[in-house]
Amino acid sequence: MNLLKIKALRVYFPTDDGIVKAVDGVDLNIKREEILGLIGETGCGKTVLGMSIMRLIQSTTLTDGEIIYKDRDLLSLSDDEMRKIRGGEIAMVLQNPMTSLNPVIRVGEQIAETIRLHQGLDKKAARKRVIEMLRDVRIPDPEKSVDSYPHQLSGGMQERVMIAMALASDPELIIADEPTKGLDVTVKREIIRLMKEVTAKRSMLFITHDLGAAAEICDNIAVMYAGELLEHASVDSIFSEPLHPYSEGLLNSLPERGLKPIRGISPSLIDTPQGCRFHPRCDYAMEICREKHPEMVKLEDGRAVRCFLYA
Amino acid sequence: MRGALKSGNVFCKNRIGVTGLGILSVFILTAIFAPFLAPYDPCEMFEPMAPPDSQHVLGTNDIGQDIWSELIYASRISLFIAFTTSIIATFIGTLSGLFSGYYERFGFFVMRVVDLFLALPRLPLIIILAVFMPTSIWNLIIIFVLFGWPITTRIIRSEVLTLRTRPYIDSERMMGAGDLYILGRHILPNIFPLVVVQFVMEARHVILAEAGLSFLGLGDPTSKSWGMMLHYAFEYPTIFISEVWKWWMLPPGLCIVVVILALVFVGFALEEILNPRLRREIV
Amino acid sequence: MHHLTKITAYILIIFVAISINFALPRMMPGDPITSLTDDPTTGMPVIMDEDIKEEIRSYYGLDKPISEQYTDYLKDILKCDLGWSIYYNAPVAEVIFERLKWTLLLVGTSTLIYMILGIFLGAVSAWKRGERGDLGLLVSVLSIGSFPSFFLAMLFIILFGVKLDIFPIFGATTPFMEYSSTFDAFKDVLYHLILPASTLVLTSIDGPYLLMRNSMLGVLGEDYIVTARAKGLTEWAILKDHAIKNALLPITTVIAIRMGFMISGAIFVETVFAYPGIGKLLYDAVSFSDYPLLQGAFLIITLIIIAANFIADMTYLYLDPRVKHG
Repeated sequence: MNLLKIKALRVYFPTDDGIVKAVDGVDLNIKREEILGLIGETGCGKTVLGMSIMRLIQSTTLTDGEIIYKDRDLLSLSDDEMRKIRGGEIAMVLQNPMTSLNPVIRVGEQIAETIRLHQGLDKKAARKRVIEMLRDVRIPDPEKSVDSYPHQLSGGMQERVMIAMALASDPELIIADEPTKGLDVTVKREIIRLMKEVTAKRSMLFITHDLGAAAEICDNIAVMYAGELLEHASVDSIFSEPLHPYSEGLLNSLPERGLKPIRGISPSLIDTPQGCRFHPRCDYAMEICREKHPEMVKLEDGRAVRCFLYA
Repeated sequence: MRGALKSGNVFCKNRIGVTGLGILSVFILTAIFAPFLAPYDPCEMFEPMAPPDSQHVLGTNDIGQDIWSELIYASRISLFIAFTTSIIATFIGTLSGLFSGYYERFGFFVMRVVDLFLALPRLPLIIILAVFMPTSIWNLIIIFVLFGWPITTRIIRSEVLTLRTRPYIDSERMMGAGDLYILGRHILPNIFPLVVVQFVMEARHVILAEAGLSFLGLGDPTSKSWGMMLHYAFEYPTIFISEVWKWWMLPPGLCIVVVILALVFVGFALEEILNPRLRREIV
Repeated sequence: MHHLTKITAYILIIFVAISINFALPRMMPGDPITSLTDDPTTGMPVIMDEDIKEEIRSYYGLDKPISEQYTDYLKDILKCDLGWSIYYNAPVAEVIFERLKWTLLLVGTSTLIYMILGIFLGAVSAWKRGERGDLGLLVSVLSIGSFPSFFLAMLFIILFGVKLDIFPIFGATTPFMEYSSTFDAFKDVLYHLILPASTLVLTSIDGPYLLMRNSMLGVLGEDYIVTARAKGLTEWAILKDHAIKNALLPITTVIAIRMGFMISGAIFVETVFAYPGIGKLLYDAVSFSDYPLLQGAFLIITLIIIAANFIADMTYLYLDPRVKHG
């Protein structure tokens, strides 16, 4: 049962240098209670994809396609209708809590704001609820922490506040954008465990370039490259047997698999390579890869891959 | 629709800058070619307080000088003081900013002096200096330079401090490049746009300050600027109740306003282009 | 610790201002009498009778050694003795303090209005960035800010005072007026205040407006604004609860420091409107070559500005939680 269906989504930014095709024809479904990992290198468009579900990208953008959430196309909702969904039914954990928390407002108030807005609680009840939330995300001494300013908390604690903020309105879908970025290993592990726990009865789009984190938490993985998806499979199958050469390359660059980087650099989103977008960096590139753009191929076991090797 | 507005906006910004530059050029050309443009010598005396006619486009003042000629020659004085001061002040500010950003101990000393200058109220000090120094254009310029350089120094220094930590500067240094070479070859070109902005801002400030001082009667009476013309007009007993203000007070005042506005436009356009923070997209 | 260095710095600045005031007349070529007898406005020698020369000589204490002159000068300041005004034939301190209330009224009122208005318009402009409203506001504020205050003041006198005849054109009260009630007196003072205050407000508003607009543009690009939007807050709530305070913090000091400089602007406005404040006094002292009065007025204006800056600096420390809670 699909909770969110993204169909042929395109998000283009007109700039002085040309049109940045950050998301260029993405189809993606998120099922109820599924945790889907969206992985790819920095600048492949994965953050933009997450932001466009929330309709948080700038107004000058050209957006096309459909984002169906429970039979409603989010892209055609009015601003007011969208505002009710945003932070209510769909919540977001933004990357970099240090800058994503307002430095001059107490953290308790920043969480309470969402609760008051979406659940209509009064000030006192909201505060009580915030303290419970802080306890749920295991922030020590919640009665005191509720009145802290963000800079008084450590990076890991700030991340927990971000998670509590997203959970505040009891959303059905959480979009988490690089929640483990910049945290040290122990803290990262705790945050992953916490996220797994709090999303037990929810769906989550987990955007990351950290394959280890994705392996630990996700049910399925979608691999994104230069604005489009290259592979979609369950977490077990992709880690044991990656099909797309890019997925294979990503796995080989992990420390435990030899730390072998993919040669070349990721392409600019303004002029993407002709044919298969990955071909200039691909060890298996054939003649056809230079000329034709491959389509996503559905395989029998439910996997999908965009590569002529499997056509 | 929104996209169209945005690109229109960028165009407008440029248009603002271009307009400012155009107006400035007109005034600069007027100042340069004043002897050819002015119908009379500004010191020549005719019948006093004559209203505008074909002989005197803007009439004559209380001692019979042709106001239109006076106005044209005054642009020389006002612009000369403004640009000379800005050139000198920006030059001193840039040099001291460069060196105080690059050499820490020297910088510490310079910045304390700068702090002191910036903490002292500028206008009252300028007034009292002007009162006690013998009046001449050059003394005015010295006073304005004295209070003009510190702000440039501070701005240039903070820019140099960030540039200095760039990796390529380190690698240049490791390859044995001399300090002067690094400053001239790598740092100066990077701060140059900022220097231009500072120059424009300083010119604007001096036009206003000079006009103010002259209005208070502290300018050089032998070389009349727009501010000085306003001073004499203001001192004339019936300036407000007769129609004289239209040709005696309004023209020099408007000249000051238009030149300042032109400088503001140029400065604003430059800053919008240079300051990446202002250009950052709003998500 | 931080406070202590700040306070020391301010004491130092006051000291420098006093020393400049002491040194200036003594540094001029020749002795102060000869340099002072050249009227700066005309370059013509001023005819001074012997009494006045004697007055000036004793004011500067020129017969004593320079170090003694300096200590005497400091002692006099501490005793609030700023010398004897030649023109008013009264103690300088007395003349100044009588005028001070009018300047404080004018500057205080204008400051309050221009700060609130400037900050509000700046925030609106940034919020509507690139739209017609922003562009219109920007061009209007930059244009009005390009008017020298004395020129705008003169235009106001002609337009509102003479042509339309709705406001008085000089003074702070109607001369020889007997007020029937305090309310009448208040009305008369307010009536005289409107034109000078509007001039000051209009010619200084570009400062806080541009500061707020720039600061706000920076804040609107911050990640926490995206967070606020992701929570589903309305645009107005984002502006009110998340943007304005953050945008105001870094500019409080600068705005407050400009407040001190409003007194400088008052010199021109008071002069044109013949408003009996300390700025007009400074102008009169220049025109009448009343040097003790000039130096006294300079000193008081300088001290007020420095005091305002000091208060501004200190307020910031108590506003920003990041500084306050370390």
